[in-house]
Parts: sequence; C-alpha cells; structure tokens
Amino acid sequence: MLVAAIGHPDRGDDGIGPAVARRLKQQVPTGVRVIECGGDVLELIDEWAGCAAAILIDASNAAGEPGRIRRLDLVTNWLAADFAQNSTHAFGLAETVELARALGQLPRRLVVFLVEGERFDIGAPLSPLVTEAVAPVAQAILAELAHCLVGKPD
Amino acid sequence: MATKTINVDYIARVEGEGSLTLDIRDGTVEGVRLSIFEPPRFFEAMLRGRRYDEVLDIVARICGICPIAYQMSGVAAIEDALGLDVEPPIHALRRLLYCGEWIESHSLHIAMLHAPDFLGYPDAMAMARDHGDAVRRALALKKVGNELLRLLGGREIHPVNVRVGGFYRVPRRTEFAPVAESLKRARDHAIETLRWAASFPFPNCARDYEFVALRDPIEYPMNHGRIVSSAGLDIAAADYEDEFLERQVPYSTALQSTLKRRGAYLVGAMARYALNRDRLSRELQGLADEAGIGAGCRNPFKSILVRAVEVVYACGEALRLIADYEPPSQPYATTEPRAAVGYGCTEAPRGVLYHHYKIDSDGAIAGARIVPPTAQNQGTMEEDLRAVATAGLDLDEERLRANCEQSIRNHDPCISCAAHFLTLNVNRA
Repeated sequence: MLVAAIGHPDRGDDGIGPAVARRLKQQVPTGVRVIECGGDVLELIDEWAGCAAAILIDASNAAGEPGRIRRLDLVTNWLAADFAQNSTHAFGLAETVELARALGQLPRRLVVFLVEGERFDIGAPLSPLVTEAVAPVAQAILAELAHCLVGKPD
Repeated sequence: MATKTINVDYIARVEGEGSLTLDIRDGTVEGVRLSIFEPPRFFEAMLRGRRYDEVLDIVARICGICPIAYQMSGVAAIEDALGLDVEPPIHALRRLLYCGEWIESHSLHIAMLHAPDFLGYPDAMAMARDHGDAVRRALALKKVGNELLRLLGGREIHPVNVRVGGFYRVPRRTEFAPVAESLKRARDHAIETLRWAASFPFPNCARDYEFVALRDPIEYPMNHGRIVSSAGLDIAAADYEDEFLERQVPYSTALQSTLKRRGAYLVGAMARYALNRDRLSRELQGLADEAGIGAGCRNPFKSILVRAVEVVYACGEALRLIADYEPPSQPYATTEPRAAVGYGCTEAPRGVLYHHYKIDSDGAIAGARIVPPTAQNQGTMEEDLRAVATAGLDLDEERLRANCEQSIRNHDPCISCAAHFLTLNVNRA
C-alpha cells in the first residue's frame, strides 16, 4: 500500500501533505510506503502500480473553511471538475487520476484526503487551523490503512 | 460588407495562457492577433541588484517545463562575463542535464499536448483510452527525463544544483547506473513514439521560414554554438542584439522578436533540425527519412516528428555522455566578481534562448535581458495562423478554430516564458 503526500513544505498550507507524511512515517504498518510528491504528480501512476490501495493527501483551495478535511473515493468519483486548469505547466492531481483511469492503471482502492488551505505564501508555515488538521488527518489515514489491511469493503 | 470575428478565449494544451483573434472581412483574413495575457513577470527587473551567483536559482523559476534552459543560458552568459571556461566534465554534465529536459519536455508535448490534435481527441485523457501504449511510453520517457533532472539538478522542477562554475554536487560514476538502464529502454520507446507519430494524417503545408538555431562545429546544438540561419546569418551570442529586435505589440504582454533586416523567423526543433541534420548519426537520419521528414521539413504540422527525432537523439546522447563520464577534479570552479558584460545562448526545447547580463564590480547585476524562444516565434505563429485561416475560410467555425489551435501547438509555445497564451477570437465581416 502507498501513502502519497502531495505538496510543497515551503508554500504555506500546501505543506499539509508533507507535514502529515512526516508524522505517519513512524506509525504506518509494515508494508506501507509513505512518499512525498513535491514535483511531477504524473509519476504517481508509476508509484501506485502494483499497490492494492493508495491514499493521497493534498491541500485544496481556500473556500472559507480552512482546515476542513474531506475524504474522496477517487475510484468512484471524479476530481477533474474541482481542479480543472487551463495551463499545462504541470499535470495536476485531477489530470493524473483521470489519465490513470483511462489507462486502466488506478489501484483497486484510491482515496484522497483534502485539507482546505487558507494561505499558500512562499516560505510561510502552515496556518493555525490547518496545523490543527494534521493529527486528525493522520489518524484518519491510519484508520483507512487498518481498514484496507483487514480487507473490509467500504 | 460582411465581417466576422472568431475568438479562442483560452488556447488549451499550451504552456500558459493566451488567446487568438482572427478578423475576417469579405472572405479575407485581415487581422491575426496572438495575445499573450499572462501577466508581465518582470524577471529582468527582479534580477537587477541581485548577486551574479543568485541568478541561476531565480531564472530557473521562469518556467516549470524548461528551467534547465534558463539555467544553461544564464550560466553561459555569467561565465562569459567572468571569463571562465569550466573543465570538460562540467560541460558534459550540463549537456546531460539538457538531454533530460529535452526528453521530458518534448515527450510531454508530443503525446499529451499535440498528438490529440492529429487523432481527433479533446485531450490526452480521452486519447489514452484508445492509445494507451503510446501514452505509457510518453510517461516512461518523461520519467527518465525527470530522473536525469533529479540526479543532476537536485529535483525535477526548478532544479537547485546548478551554480556558476559548475554544480554544488556532482554524481559519482556509480550513481548513473539506474538511469542508464532506464535510458536504454527509453531510447526504444522514443523510436516507437517516432514511428507512431509518423502514422498521423498531416495537412499539406509548406512555409517559407527563416530558420534560426545554434550550430556547433561537432555536436547537435544544446549548450554551444554560433547563431546561424537558413538565410546566411552567422553570429556570436554577443552580436544577438545587433541582428534581432524586440518590440511591444499592444495586444500582448510578451515582447515580439524580429530579425532587424528580414522580419519574422522560426526557432525551435524544426530550425535546429534543418540547420544541424548533418550533426545527427546516419541511423538517426535514416529514422527521420523513414518518418518522412527527410533533409528539409517546412511543414509545421510535422514538427511533432522532429521533436520525436530529437527525443531519440537525446536518449542516445545521454547514454554516450554517461558512458564517457569522468567526474571533474572539483564540482565547481570558484569565481570572483568583476565589472563585465556577458552573453549566453543555448537551445531550450522550444529553441534559442538568449541571456545578456551586465555585472558590477561588486557582483551585483546591473542589467539583464532574457529573450525566450516563444517570444521569438510569435510573429511566425501569427503568419502561420494567417496561412491556415486563409486556407480554411470555407470551414465551419469549429473546424477553423481547431485548425488554428493546432497551428499554434505546432510550435509548442511556452506562453508563461514569453510573458515573461490561448483563446481564439474570429471576427468575420
């Protein structure tokens, strides 16, 4: 199984993924890989190849509720509508998931935890409300992993 | 009198944001405006007052797709100013790093951005359902390019390991083993990609471009060479501003470049290939011939084939550089500031990228000029659009719009770099 944290630790609340990943590294069960993905998100398709399950953590855009945690099953849901972009400087998470879906390369179980950010300034730390979300997101991911390990259905 | 305006408000599958407006009056294309509305980014002004050894990390931020190009032209210009010639292994590592960027940038454009135009899909995601193997090859190629950037640049986006005089850290020979294995498979993927692209239906089109590219005495150009053209230009980077003129147009935040004496010109893969085919191996020339681009390709729709040839080249060249690699005696040469002016020109994936710096005696940047390839190609892209729109006047608006967008993507524009691009508006009257 794979836990992949998307984001940049030095871009304010974009760092929620790396912050959760660092907390989880010592806590995840044997056989679970925790990685940080701060560059080309397209490489996630390779990273989750052969994994029965992958759990992603990413920051979502500010929308008035900083720190709000949302869990989305990406096998049954589309992310594109929320994350569509005109620029292709980089393929984002939504494009990566849809490309993998088209290629038949989604893991059997793919979940993303999205934490709503407040500010994404260069060099800024996590904002207080997003900092408070680190522990509950980490706990939710550990619970998700436990759920996957016993093979329970949703 | 009948007039019509066709607008494309956002041109998709290009790097950055821009739009296109066609004014058609009584069946004639009267106006073509390629508008780049990325906000001006003021990088040249931002560099003034910074130390010469901070430049490379700042200019890398101009582009997420071609940061190496900015670092390579930047380091060439600064070392020119300082009178520094680095040792051969440093040159080799810089060329290897450039190979990585050509592989990842070209592979992304070929399969993800340009191929859907030829095969009738709205995007790569839709195309992937029917052409999964081609997309998987592109992902594998992009990954190899990224691996090279991580190994030599520290990370794949906005690398941080290039410095004036060399690198902060250079790899040991053994560190290249995994990427060398990946490159062997990648070269096969690149050849398959070229053959796949050669099977596309290509519109008939022959444009009379003046090609401008670097030319090196021995190598296919990346980091070195004189600036040459198909009309006989042959100058050093230091003479660039004598021959080329940047001008502001009212509808674009990117400056447009022209040859002072002859107007619009073309840089990029087609220009490099046209002016340097003899620097490719017989095998690669044979692969290009087999793909249908022979000695001179003037059909911009076939630029995808030229990029595919360059990916094969870059994979092979990277393997050669790795096989021959001997670490330098030191990772970097130390430098001292001096009051000087330097010029650098290298081949970004999208073409000639010119940098010019004036450095004060205390090492502060007193003046900077950066001319990216897309800014240089804007005039030619507008001329291409006029030709494509004129040939397609009888088409319905949707088809005409699609042809115009494809015509822009032929040149893989990096609008963010140039505005520092696309929406199509067609006005028919």
